[in-house]
Amino acid sequence: MSYEETDIINIIIAGTAGQGVITLKRLIEFAAQKSGSDLVLGTEMHGLAQREGAIVSHTRYQMKSYQNPRKNLQSPLICYGDADLFICLEPVEALRRGIFSSKKTTFVLNERTIPGVMITADLEEYPSLNEIEEILKKSSEEIYFINATQLSLDKFDTNQNMNIIMLGVAIATGKLPFIKTEHYEQVIHEWLRDPDNNVQALQLGIENGKQLMRKEHV
Amino acid sequence: MIKEDKRFISEQGEVLMLGNEAVVRGCLEAGVSYAAQYPGTPTSDIGETFQKILREQPDLRKYLIHHWAINEAVASSECAGAAWTGCRVLNPMKHVGLNVASDALSVIALNGPNPGAMVILVGADPGSLGSHQEQNERFYIWMFHFPCLEPHTPQECKDYTKLAFELSEKYDTVIELRTSTRSAHSRGYVKLNPIKKGLSIGNFERNIPKFNSLPPHAINNHIRLYERIEKIREEIPNLNINRLIPGENSTGIITSGMSFGYTLEALAQLGLFDVPVLKLGMIYPLNHEEITDFLAPLKNVVIIEELEPFLEVKISEIAHKHNLEIEIIGEEFFPKYNEYSTGLVASCLAKIFQKRPEEQMTTSVEIFNSYKDKIPSRFPTFCAGCPERATLYSILKTTNNMENTVICGDIGCFVMSFFPPQECSDLIICMSGGLSAAIGISEKTEQKVIAFIGDSTFLHTGMSPLAEAANYNSNVLLFIFENSWTAMTGHQPVLGLTEKKLSIEKICDAIGVNWLKIEDSYHPKRLMKSINQALEEKGLKVIIIKRECALQANRWRTSQIRKLKKEGKKLQEVYFHITGCQMCYECARILSCPAIRKTEVDGLETMQIDEDRCIRCEVCLRICPNNAIHKSIINALETEVHFREL
Repeated sequence: MSYEETDIINIIIAGTAGQGVITLKRLIEFAAQKSGSDLVLGTEMHGLAQREGAIVSHTRYQMKSYQNPRKNLQSPLICYGDADLFICLEPVEALRRGIFSSKKTTFVLNERTIPGVMITADLEEYPSLNEIEEILKKSSEEIYFINATQLSLDKFDTNQNMNIIMLGVAIATGKLPFIKTEHYEQVIHEWLRDPDNNVQALQLGIENGKQLMRKEHV
Repeated sequence: MIKEDKRFISEQGEVLMLGNEAVVRGCLEAGVSYAAQYPGTPTSDIGETFQKILREQPDLRKYLIHHWAINEAVASSECAGAAWTGCRVLNPMKHVGLNVASDALSVIALNGPNPGAMVILVGADPGSLGSHQEQNERFYIWMFHFPCLEPHTPQECKDYTKLAFELSEKYDTVIELRTSTRSAHSRGYVKLNPIKKGLSIGNFERNIPKFNSLPPHAINNHIRLYERIEKIREEIPNLNINRLIPGENSTGIITSGMSFGYTLEALAQLGLFDVPVLKLGMIYPLNHEEITDFLAPLKNVVIIEELEPFLEVKISEIAHKHNLEIEIIGEEFFPKYNEYSTGLVASCLAKIFQKRPEEQMTTSVEIFNSYKDKIPSRFPTFCAGCPERATLYSILKTTNNMENTVICGDIGCFVMSFFPPQECSDLIICMSGGLSAAIGISEKTEQKVIAFIGDSTFLHTGMSPLAEAANYNSNVLLFIFENSWTAMTGHQPVLGLTEKKLSIEKICDAIGVNWLKIEDSYHPKRLMKSINQALEEKGLKVIIIKRECALQANRWRTSQIRKLKKEGKKLQEVYFHITGCQMCYECARILSCPAIRKTEVDGLETMQIDEDRCIRCEVCLRICPNNAIHKSIINALETEVHFREL
C-alpha cells in the first residue's frame, strides 16, 4: 500500500503497564517531526493505568496538511476501524483495542504473554496465540507475530529493549511511511538512555521484520 | 539521554509537547513566579515538569517556585497569597481536587487576585481514565464565576495559558483553564516564544475591603465580581479565541475543547463538509451577540460537549432571551457520561443528519462486538511485591475472608482492592472518606470495622477524622500505609515524610491514639498476630504498615546493584523456584501476586514465578502452606542488597 503525503497515518500501540508503550509512541512522534510532517497528534495514558493495567496509545501524523481544516488531523484519538498499524507489545491487548482495526490494518504482535491476575488466579482463560490470530483475521489480513521479548533477552540480557525491537518490526511493514530509519536513530540518541543498544535493537527488529515479511509473502 | 530539556529553554522554534508541558511552557512565557498543587491525574505531570525545569535550571529558582502542597485547599490559598504580593500564579488540580479547593476558591474569586494574577488549571476526566469518578466540575464555573478557557491542542494549551494570565491581571479575576485527560496528555506541535522571568520579590499591600470578604465587603466584592465578568464578556470578540468554520448547512454545531476535534473528524467520516461549526475557546462567559450571530441563519444547532449539558443550557438561555426560533439538539442524542471519541460523535451525528457512517467504521464495530466478551479482563492491580497487596492478604486470612467485617477503602493505590480476586474494599468515598465512614459504621454495628488510608492522604485530610475517631474511641482498626510516596499519581514525595521531617506515629500519639503498632506486611505471620490482637480489642486501633512502595524500592535496589557491580563488588544472587506445588492457589488467589502464573511441567500443573517480574519480596515463600517455594542463593557469602528501611 502506498501513501500520499496528505494522508493521515494512524498507529495504535497497545500493551501493559511498564512495557514501554509510551516511550515507543514518543519515538514515533519525535521521528515524525524529524521527517518534517506538518501535523502530529497522539495521546497517552498516565496514572491509574500504570498498575499492571492495559495501556493503549494512539498516535497520528500527516506529512502535508490541507488549507481546509475539515480534512486535517484534528483529534488525537483514532476513529473505529481507522488504524493503519497496530503494534501490540502483549498479544491479548490487540483484541482489547480491536475496534480500531479493519481491512487496512497491519498487526505486529509480540508473542510474550503477560497474564492478568484473573488468569494467574486461574479464574479466567487466556486465549492461545492461534485463537488470537483467528479473531484478528476476521477484520485484517496482515498479522505478524514475533517473540521480541525473547530476542531482547537473547541479545541484551534484559527484556527492556523489546519495545524498540517491536518498533523495528513495525518499520519493516512499511506502515510508517515518510519516516526514515535515521530519524528514529537520531531521536533514540536524543531521548533514550543507552542509545547504542537501542539503535542495535531497532536494527535487530528491522532485520527480523523483513525476514518475517519475506516468509509470509513467499 | 538529554541533560536538559531544550523545549523549556529555547526562545523560538517549534517543538512537540504534551498539553500539560505546553501549559508549563505558557507559564514560563507569561512570567509565572509561583505554582502550587496537590498531585492528581491528569495534572500531576505539570508539577513534575516544573520540578524538572527547576532541577535543570537552578538559576530560575530565584524567579519561580513550585510547591507540592499538602492538599488542594492549601494549594489554592497559598497561590492566592503569592498573587496578592504581585505574582502571576498557577494552581493546578484535578476535577475532584476542585471540590477540596472550592471552600478557599469561593472567597479568592470574590477578592480577586490583583495586584498579581491567578489561573486555576482544572483537569477534567470524562471516562474516569485516572480518577474514581467523572464528575462534571464545570458547574463550579457558574457558581464562582471563573471565566473559563478550554484548549483543544497543545498549541492552544500554551496560548490560552498566556491569555488567561493577561485576563486575570487586567480584570482582577481568577481564570480557569480547563483541560481533560485527553487534552492534557495529547502531544502536538507548539511554537515557542521568548521566556519572561517571573517576579523575584513581591510586596503585600494592605487593602481591607478587597481581602476581607465579610459583610459589608463580601456584598461589594460580589457586585465587583459581576462587573468584572461583564467586562470580560464584552471583550470576548476581540480575544480571537472563538473560531468559526463556516458552512451552508441549516444545521450548525457548537462545541469546545477535545469535542471539537472529534466533531470535525466525525463530520469528515460522514461526508458532511458544509456544516458550520463554532468552536468556543471560552466556555464561560458567552458573548450573546457572537452566539446569536451564529444561530440566526440556522434551523437547528447541535451542541457537542462531554458529560452533562453545560453549554447547551446557556445557549438555550441565550436563544430563548433573544426569541430565536431554533431547535437545540444535544443531550437527547449524546450520552451524558463517559468519554467521547470520533467514532461515538460520528454515530450520534449520523442519527441527527440521517447519514450512514463509512463502512470501515460500522464493520469494525460489528466485528469487535462479536468477540469483545471473550477478551480476558485486565484491570489495574497492585504491582508484584506491593506491601499493600501483602497487607490485604493478612486481612483476608485473619478475618476469615472478611466474615462479619466491613472494610472502608480510600483513595490511593489500594482503591484497586475492590477488584477480584482479593475484593476487599467495601466502600470508597473520597480522600480520607473511608476512616470517616468507619466512625459512623462502627457506632451502629457489631461488625468488625477496618479502614485504610495512605500516608499522603493521611496528611492531606486524614488527621482530622483520626482526631475524631480518637475522641470517640471509635471501634475501628485503621491501617495507615506508610510507603513514603504519593505512589498512584507517579511517586511525588509525601510532604515532610519522604524527607523524614515528620513522623506519622508521633502524630498518632499526639492525636491520642492509645493502641498503635508498626508492622511490615512482608512478614505476614507477625502482622496477622497484630491484626488478631487488634480485632479482639474494643476502641480505636492503628497499625502503620511501614514498607516502601515496591516500584520505588525495586528501582532503588536495582540502582544499588548496578552501582556495586560497577565498583567490581561480588553480590549475592537470589532465585526462587517452585517444586511440589499442590495447586492450592494461596499465592495466586489470596495473595494474588501477578508475578506467579500457572504452567505445566512434565504434564503436571504447577505454579511458576516469572523471574523478570518478581521483585523478591519473599511474601509468597512465607505464606505457601506446602513449603513449595524455595529460595536459593548463589555467592551466599558475598554482599546482600536489601530493600532500604523507612
